[in-house]
Amino acid sequence: MDPVRFYSDIIKRNMDKPEKVNKLINFGLAAAYYYVNFFKDKRSPKSLHYLNKYCIKSIKDSLKNPQNSAWVNLFSPCEFLIAMDIKPLFIEAYSSFMSGFFIEDYLIDTAESRGISNTLCSYHKTFIGANELNILRKPEFMITTSMICDANMPTFRYLSRKYGVPLYIIDIPYKYSEEALIYVKNQLLEMVKRLEEVFKRKLDIDKLREVVKIENKTRTVMKEYLDYLKEKTLLTSMTFEMYMLFASHVFIGSREILSFYQMLIDDIKRAPERRGKSIFFVHLLPMFEKNFKDNFNFNNNFHIAGSDINYDFLGEIDEKDPFKGIAEKLILTSFNGEINRKVTRIRELIEKVKPDGIIQFCHLGCKQSIGGTFIIKNLASEMGIPFLYLDGDCVDKRNNQEGQNRTRLEAFLEML
Amino acid sequence: MIAYVCKYTPVEIIEAFGEEPVRLDSGCKSYERAEALIHSNMCSFVKGVLENIVENNIEEAVLTSCCDSIRRLYDVLKDRIKFIHILDLPRKKDSLAVDLFYNEIAEFIEAYKAFKNRSFAEEDLLKILEGKSFKKKKESSGSIAILGARLKDDVVEKIKNSCTVNIINFTCTGEERLFNIGAKNNLLKSYAESLLNLTPCMRMAEDRSKLINKEFKGIIYNTIKFCDFYSYEYAELKNKVDIPLLKIETDYTDSNSGQILTRVDAFFESTGIKKIEKKEALKGYFAGIDSGSTSTNAVIIDENKNIISYSIIPTGPRAVESAFKAFEIALCNAGLKEKDITSTVATGYGRVSIPFADRIVTEITCHGKGAFFIDNAIRTVIDIGGQDSKVIRLDDSGNVIDFVMNDKCSAGTGRFLEVMARTLGVSIDEMAKVRKEVKENITITSMCTVFAESEVISLIAQNKDQRDIIYALNKAVASKAVSLVDRIGRKGKYMMTGGVAKNQGVVHAIESRLGEKLVIPFEPQIIGALGAALISLEGKLG
Repeated sequence: MDPVRFYSDIIKRNMDKPEKVNKLINFGLAAAYYYVNFFKDKRSPKSLHYLNKYCIKSIKDSLKNPQNSAWVNLFSPCEFLIAMDIKPLFIEAYSSFMSGFFIEDYLIDTAESRGISNTLCSYHKTFIGANELNILRKPEFMITTSMICDANMPTFRYLSRKYGVPLYIIDIPYKYSEEALIYVKNQLLEMVKRLEEVFKRKLDIDKLREVVKIENKTRTVMKEYLDYLKEKTLLTSMTFEMYMLFASHVFIGSREILSFYQMLIDDIKRAPERRGKSIFFVHLLPMFEKNFKDNFNFNNNFHIAGSDINYDFLGEIDEKDPFKGIAEKLILTSFNGEINRKVTRIRELIEKVKPDGIIQFCHLGCKQSIGGTFIIKNLASEMGIPFLYLDGDCVDKRNNQEGQNRTRLEAFLEML
Repeated sequence: MIAYVCKYTPVEIIEAFGEEPVRLDSGCKSYERAEALIHSNMCSFVKGVLENIVENNIEEAVLTSCCDSIRRLYDVLKDRIKFIHILDLPRKKDSLAVDLFYNEIAEFIEAYKAFKNRSFAEEDLLKILEGKSFKKKKESSGSIAILGARLKDDVVEKIKNSCTVNIINFTCTGEERLFNIGAKNNLLKSYAESLLNLTPCMRMAEDRSKLINKEFKGIIYNTIKFCDFYSYEYAELKNKVDIPLLKIETDYTDSNSGQILTRVDAFFESTGIKKIEKKEALKGYFAGIDSGSTSTNAVIIDENKNIISYSIIPTGPRAVESAFKAFEIALCNAGLKEKDITSTVATGYGRVSIPFADRIVTEITCHGKGAFFIDNAIRTVIDIGGQDSKVIRLDDSGNVIDFVMNDKCSAGTGRFLEVMARTLGVSIDEMAKVRKEVKENITITSMCTVFAESEVISLIAQNKDQRDIIYALNKAVASKAVSLVDRIGRKGKYMMTGGVAKNQGVVHAIESRLGEKLVIPFEPQIIGALGAALISLEGKLG
């Protein structure tokens, strides 16, 4: 029997014992960490191996130390947490890991049976389900932004009330203006005050400036990497591109992430000249979907040329006034505001990376993403690049029509 | 005319421009045009609004950045209609948020002035706002509150007409636009502040608990398909309040209002809001007709509650004819004439169209009544019929105290099994046989009938054993039923009714999930009709 399935069956059989499940999950993460540490996948570049370990460790650490942890969403500004040495747990990553452990179905069914909408994004349903079963220990603080995804605010509010844990909602305006900037900056100041009260430590502004400085440097390296993508072929996997979210968002500003991008540059410099077909992804990659894994993971014929979600902000943050700078980043991310912003960013990336095709995997329940599918399709057709959109779910494997997806995906790849 | 959707839209500015603000609803029969412009998995309300705009050639619209779907609606409509403007709506209401929204309103005024080449006078706005000045709101205790996502006006009206209790619509469609404009020297800012202080909807960061804490007699909680905001509040509320709470889910099409009204009626019946006076003990024979989507069933009982006869026939294209036929067969089997029947109660989807019924009662109340009559230890009834499935919770006296129904789709119903039987090329009886020993434990992952059908086709293509597929399908139906049970909480003893109760495979799968035996009545399809006949005799619901 597959050991992961075996492990998943044990967890499912013990769902009525939350403490035991908590331990089993921590054990699974520790086992995964040691496995990755000692059995390096020979196909994987050095940077991927490094990032893989970093991601598992970050989840493991925040789950094991809830008293020094804050729950965040992917777009929460974690620079403050890094500067204050607070461990963020971003809920989308937790749900992905649970899907990797094959228990997402149980967690989702639990959330739905408590009244949570069945059409809600499965990243959120999985996380809520885990909390309904009390298998996570409550953190000290929660931070969410209002932007991009409607589910964030209500999910965090629901959990904050369930546990009586303080939550700070950062409301991000849809449009950019001076007033909007002041509005967000003021909220960031207020949030830090709350963080200082809860964690009983002061934010050192110089430390925050240092984090921002590293973040800016990281983005410079990130852009350098983008320049290589059109001429080199670095074989990676769906999981790697999703792990990049740790690097491009929640943990950007840490020294480890800067090291990761520097390693990535070394890897891509050494990679062979471009060959096969390169596919650019819009939004998320279905890393558990069999057809995608078969066709893209370390495949010489078709390789992943990135996703726009990892490049939603490429500007520089004001190091002198990091509160204002971070506020600006939050409002200006290409995923916020009118879809034109996103279209412009995708156009820039396509021009830079020059992929052979674009795929949008329409994650069920993600209205902000699927609502723009036809507009991105028009962009692709205007740029003369084949475009495919497929419906499915990045977490809940039951929502993926494997047979239908295979036909459509293979036909698209044949077309290239 | 300027179309708008969100209650935070500065409607009074539109009026001050001398234009008519029209709140857009959906109410479409199909999303044909909308789905050519936007992905079909978007929220049904937004697809309906888009369909409405395209169908009626609406040229001017104002939106707010209220939710992901509306923001994308703006992106789709931009450059497609003559005037479209989106206001950035803050989720907080502090002074910086007010400044932001004030600027947005001012920007809208400038944009519309430029578009229409028309001036704007603040005095006109002031006059309008004075006409909508704040008054003390009516006492709401003792009323039924409609909470949750916006509910269509016509459904609200129908609910109001179906009972005598005061119904207050607290959803966005029921917002009373009352203003208390203090600072007249900065009218626009004061107006922006008032708008941000309207009853907060779920997308706002503000606390809504004040709204919930009122002393209502009951709550009807609405959610919209694919709009997920309100399910959180419902999930929290259902464990918190101790007043009757009914959840309904609408998709903003006309087609589901019948199902909604059935639920609301049953809710009123179960909470005693709709009472039928108890009559003196009656003599003679009493009939119950259950006009379901798949079968029409009739039961005749005598004054001592003995079942004299019953009939089950397939519901044909005309519900009335089937009802007559079922009634006639039952009469014939009992050796009675129509004049021998003292009174008749109709239930089921087609209940409203049965002319010879003396009274109509929902199938939820009737199933509860029938099940409790057969076994008074029953506390949960699982009814899986042709097109819907429901779980009904009874109290110790047999009164319906809670219930849930499947959403508007055939997932996990008899229809689901019929479609799958056809796909597999087997009879429905073949599907019904217990499959205790399977070669391979397959799981059907999709509950949607359409998706599950393609999944079954894939399994056939993979040459899987037909018995294993059937076993998997029965398990899928059982899983859906048990998840409905879990929505109101488990409590035995359980009875299963409806046509699917004849399927031993499903019964077995539900029993193993619940870890308890189900009571299957001798004829599970007539329980609704039996309940109707009993109500007809007793003249009371409980």
